[in-house]
Amino acid sequence: MKRTSLFAVIAFLIFQSANAKTIKVVTTLTDLRSITELIGGDKVSVSSIATGYQNPHFVDPKPSYIISLSSADLFVTVGLDLETGWSPQLLSSSRNTKIQKGAAGYVDASEGIGLQQVPTAANRAEGDIHIYGNPHYWLDPLNGKVIARNIANGLERVDPADKATFEANLQTFYKTIDNKMKEWLAKMAPFKGTKIIAYHNEWVYFEKRFGLQIVDFMEPKPGIPPTPSQLVKVINEIKTNGIKVIISSPYFSTSSSDVVSKQTGVKALTMATSTGAFPTVKNYFDVFDYDINLITSALK
Amino acid sequence: MLISFMNKKYKPTYIPVSICTILVLFSAITLKAQTTDSTAIADSLALLQQIQAQMQTDTTQQPAAAQPRSSLSFNPDIGVIGDFQGSYISKGSKNFDMYLNETEVSLQATVDPYIRGDFFISFARDPETGKYGVEIEEGYLTTLSLPAKLQLKAGKFREAVGRINPTHPHALPFIDLPNAYVNLFGEEGLNDEGVSLSWLVPNNAFYQELTAQVTSGYSESPAFARSQGNRLIYLGHLKNFFTLNDNTTLELGLTAISGPNDSSRTTNIAAADLTYKYKPVQMNTYRSLTWQSEFYYSHNNQTENNAVNALGLYSYIQYQLAKRTFLTGRYDYGEKPYNNSIKEQAYSLTFGWYATEFSKMEIEAKTTDDNINSRFYQAWFRWIFVLGAHGAHQY
Repeated sequence: MKRTSLFAVIAFLIFQSANAKTIKVVTTLTDLRSITELIGGDKVSVSSIATGYQNPHFVDPKPSYIISLSSADLFVTVGLDLETGWSPQLLSSSRNTKIQKGAAGYVDASEGIGLQQVPTAANRAEGDIHIYGNPHYWLDPLNGKVIARNIANGLERVDPADKATFEANLQTFYKTIDNKMKEWLAKMAPFKGTKIIAYHNEWVYFEKRFGLQIVDFMEPKPGIPPTPSQLVKVINEIKTNGIKVIISSPYFSTSSSDVVSKQTGVKALTMATSTGAFPTVKNYFDVFDYDINLITSALK
Repeated sequence: MLISFMNKKYKPTYIPVSICTILVLFSAITLKAQTTDSTAIADSLALLQQIQAQMQTDTTQQPAAAQPRSSLSFNPDIGVIGDFQGSYISKGSKNFDMYLNETEVSLQATVDPYIRGDFFISFARDPETGKYGVEIEEGYLTTLSLPAKLQLKAGKFREAVGRINPTHPHALPFIDLPNAYVNLFGEEGLNDEGVSLSWLVPNNAFYQELTAQVTSGYSESPAFARSQGNRLIYLGHLKNFFTLNDNTTLELGLTAISGPNDSSRTTNIAAADLTYKYKPVQMNTYRSLTWQSEFYYSHNNQTENNAVNALGLYSYIQYQLAKRTFLTGRYDYGEKPYNNSIKEQAYSLTFGWYATEFSKMEIEAKTTDDNINSRFYQAWFRWIFVLGAHGAHQY
């Protein structure tokens, strides 16, 4: 009797530890975290290095991030040089061979994305340009599907036993995007071709998908803060084209948009660029719900 | 309308975009003229159908990757950093000068699946003769796949003494180096040939890294000299990094160094560094504050019965005034390691304008007072400019 109960306890413990074994995933951005959670379900535990309200170009490579990277099974990156200032350094300091570039646990979410604004020449006189193309591709929900496919591939490489679960979750994700897409497009349809101003050149994928037209940026060149002459130019463009909104991000100063707003009556909108940008933006789908509601109510 | 588009300094690739823009604008105008509720609905339905068809194809297969996602060449990442300076000093006969202080060429790449290589070649000007010489500032390999969270470095490298020593001078928030640091390690810093083994301590509460370094002592610093016999310089460093909250961090480092000095006896140095950083996550490009201090204690055995103990420290606060402007105030205290009755004190203030990630301008004013010479004043101007690849700096 004693022996059987001991055996039962051991069996229970083994079962528990086998069951508790989740795949540890570290993503650079919160949108990648959100999609990984949706694909991985209870098989994964995911953390993101950046928060949803910080500038993804300029995340500080704090050594504390190395702790989670050193024991990660999978690393998911936006790629295309977006994180070039911080993630390579963190990755090499992690001493974790499983997640280095080229290893099974390294996922470049940009694989297979149809890229916008791939420059024909690399010239820093044009500001912060990305030599492989504009990296803000997650702001098109259809690209979310490609990201999800890449993440599922990564999860299946490190955990082939749960392939069926990941594939089923992937199909659910595709369906949700497709259904949401109809709703989002219907909301945006009346504003097709509407001209707007953006703070930074990070909305091209959103603009193309939802039929908006960004005529100019608050930044004279990507990464260069707004100058008085640029503001004058933007004010004139707003007046000539009857532009109603400027879209910006939580991590940019609102002072120059406020100036333009005062001069022209244009509405300055702080959009969600990532999951977690605002408390109500809890997952990848919420990003588009939030942004589309914000922009459509401002344009009405 | 057309003229205004032509005037823009757009690259040829943007011309189709401009044409599309005009077309869309034109269609928008025509649409606006005839819009009724029914046409708007029909229009949105057509759009929906189009998108749905597109989604069907997108779901079933991924589009082929048309563009390369990394540079297709085995050449290392190459960067050149220029450091142009002007200087003023209130004593002596030559008070003003200007010069290209240093040109640093960096070559960095992964060697094979096991190691990466980093070279920093410095073309620097000798302040005495004004002549330029070449030296390998750093040249080392780093392992990528050692087990047990170990990492090995071998070659010539800036050693792990606190915060200033591992940092290349162009990345510091001031132009001169703290007096206490120069007294012990010289203008070039403790930068020597040997091996370095670091271990990431398996501590989930906070980041801890233990580093052990053994070097030859070939690149002489005031504190250490190359041994005529078989003696080496040994260094141990423990780095502790605490995340206090999302916006603030604290780093505490402890260093011990022991090695032969120019009296062929031993110098022992104990050092501590403390860095507090406030950088609000959301607005980290606009606002930040850094308070960094280092303390040095050196025990220099000069003869059998005579040892000199010397203290030194610096402490600076860097405050970010706006997105691109920084103000740094620093206090220095240093006792000469060979004669601790000579004590120096200095105050300096540096104003920096960081135009982009690739260029910055700084001006610094400093006053130094010691108990031998009379107080003197110095000022510098420097302009740092970066060509090509530029690696990330330590946090």
